[in-house]
Amino acid sequence: MKRIFIDPAKCDGCKSCTLACMASHQDMTPRRGTLEELRQVLYTLDLTDPTVQSRNRIVSDGKGGYSPLFCRHCDVPDCAGACMSGALQKNLETGLVEYSADKCAACYMCVMSCRYGVPAVTPDRERMIKCDFCQHLEEGPACVRSCPKKAIEVREV
Amino acid sequence: MERFVIIGAGAAGITAAQTLRDFRPEDVITVISTDERVHSRCMLHKYLGHERDIPGINFVAPDFFEKNNIYHIPCQTVTKIDTQAKTVYYGGEGYSVPYDKLLLATGSAYFVPPIPHFREAPNVFGFRDLSDALKIDDAFARGKRVFIVGSGLVGLDAASALCRRGGAVTIAEMAPRVMPLQTDDYAAGVYQRVFEDHGCRFLLGIGASDAAVDGEGNITEVILSDGQRVPCDFIIMAAGVRPRIQLALDSGIKAERAIEVDDHLRTSAPGVYAAGDCTGLSGVWPDAMAQGKAAAENMAGVDTVYEKPYPFKNTSNFFGVTMLSVGRLDLTEGAEVLVHRTAREYKKAVIKDGRLTGYLSLGDISNHGLYLHLIKNGIDISGKKDRIFRLTFGDFYGINEKNGEYVYTV
Ligand SMILES: Cc1cc2nc3c(=O)[nH]c(=O)nc-3n(C[C@H](O)[C@H](O)[C@H](O)COP(=O)(O)OP(=O)(O)OC[C@H]3O[C@@H](n4cnc5c(N)ncnc54)[C@H](O)[C@@H]3O)c2cc1C
Repeated sequence: MKRIFIDPAKCDGCKSCTLACMASHQDMTPRRGTLEELRQVLYTLDLTDPTVQSRNRIVSDGKGGYSPLFCRHCDVPDCAGACMSGALQKNLETGLVEYSADKCAACYMCVMSCRYGVPAVTPDRERMIKCDFCQHLEEGPACVRSCPKKAIEVREV
Repeated sequence: MERFVIIGAGAAGITAAQTLRDFRPEDVITVISTDERVHSRCMLHKYLGHERDIPGINFVAPDFFEKNNIYHIPCQTVTKIDTQAKTVYYGGEGYSVPYDKLLLATGSAYFVPPIPHFREAPNVFGFRDLSDALKIDDAFARGKRVFIVGSGLVGLDAASALCRRGGAVTIAEMAPRVMPLQTDDYAAGVYQRVFEDHGCRFLLGIGASDAAVDGEGNITEVILSDGQRVPCDFIIMAAGVRPRIQLALDSGIKAERAIEVDDHLRTSAPGVYAAGDCTGLSGVWPDAMAQGKAAAENMAGVDTVYEKPYPFKNTSNFFGVTMLSVGRLDLTEGAEVLVHRTAREYKKAVIKDGRLTGYLSLGDISNHGLYLHLIKNGIDISGKKDRIFRLTFGDFYGINEKNGEYVYTV
């Protein structure tokens, strides 16, 4: 399976990854596009719109550096282990923890159960939000492609 | 070849069936359930509120049993287990299935307190199984005045569904506030108002003590402990559940309040395991799944120690008002209680000896999972009190270089 590896020492907190994630999922629908096309989306991103949410976060480490918070698609995912609707499933072939919004009952046991605090809720409180590895983009996750420091990269594990 | 039998098709039973199949591609797996169809109890209100149909509250794929080559015997209640002959009996004991390893995943059942008429009246329902929801649906078609006993998560689930459909819902709660186990007074007040805005009426700090019945024994009026009379068309009992242990008791398997299990989820009978609500270890979905998985691994011969779950944890989402409640908010003696309140949010942290012991958040609960982890593991947060409501995993950041997963650094 693939995982986004993080090198926090390389992260300079520019949050390109956060914007790229928002652009890749604007209007809550995954967007197709090349990196250049996604860049174009960035110009029109409405950051005051609460539905424009990022699936990753960059937080300060309190020592001048940064701690990138990204879904790990854990080997034993606590979010999927808490899901009572079947909406969150570990795909044993790809290793990804996949989410099906149609099934989700918005109970938010996943939010409670992720010890790394990754899952978020939507403003309408009808879905959850987590990394989908940009499966709609052939080139792979938008965040990784947008990182100027190569602090995040997709690796096989 | 081994024969595995699972009694129960809920969170624990289904997870166990899947796990056994993953480990044992060839062996025979049979699931017997009173339930006709697999469904998630946590989504019953979606069915009762007519937001979803029956297939819509299934938590596995519609072809789960065929795809995994598992025999499902639905609509059958196991009434006896011969632990010597290793055989289970169902269908009035006219049918039997032999097993090498057996899992009891019988869940829990709602409890009806000994109030006159309540135990016999045909219009008193629980809200546990799909069959209960179907009966309520039927009753609701005939009369929309609903009396609910108990304002815990189950009572509120039922109330939210029926309010949505225009029911006249009255909830009686013995405690002085709604959802007494998960809330504090403030959070309870917020939920109470939201429900009242949707047409629900609350009678707090009071219980039902008697009832008036018609010629068929149906309750027509609930009489409260202060003498008030509340007319109703039917009643939903949501005053707590008890582990379903009758089958275990009748079969000589050790059980008192719940089915007794060891740290491998083995019961007192050889080859018989138990998982889920029936073990009394917890009463929430994630723990039932985890127990189903652990028990199945042990049944398949993969040694798995099941660590006792941390049971004080819940989330709720009613009419878009979301709350996360973990730990003990009620145990405040010798503790520091911090509160953060804005127009949109209410948060409360209970801290004792530098450790978080309770946390409540009402509003946007995004990214809150770490609070459960901090409480459950007694992680020292004494240096981080000033930002207790803004903690992220960044405060405990660590990376496992080998596989790229995170690890807590404390
Ligand atoms: C209305 C409601 C809302 C809930 N909401 C939440 C929530 O939001 N979050 C949360 O974490 N938890 C919630 N819960 C609790 C959660 O549903 C349970 O913890 C979970 O279902 C337990 O799973 P289980 O497999 O142990 O038992 P169950 O899911 O109850 O399954 C028991 C199975 O055993 C079968 N059975 C029992 N006895 C026999 C017998 N003798 N023979 C054959 N079959 C038998 C039943 O038919 C059923 O298939 C809720 C519960 C209810 C009732």
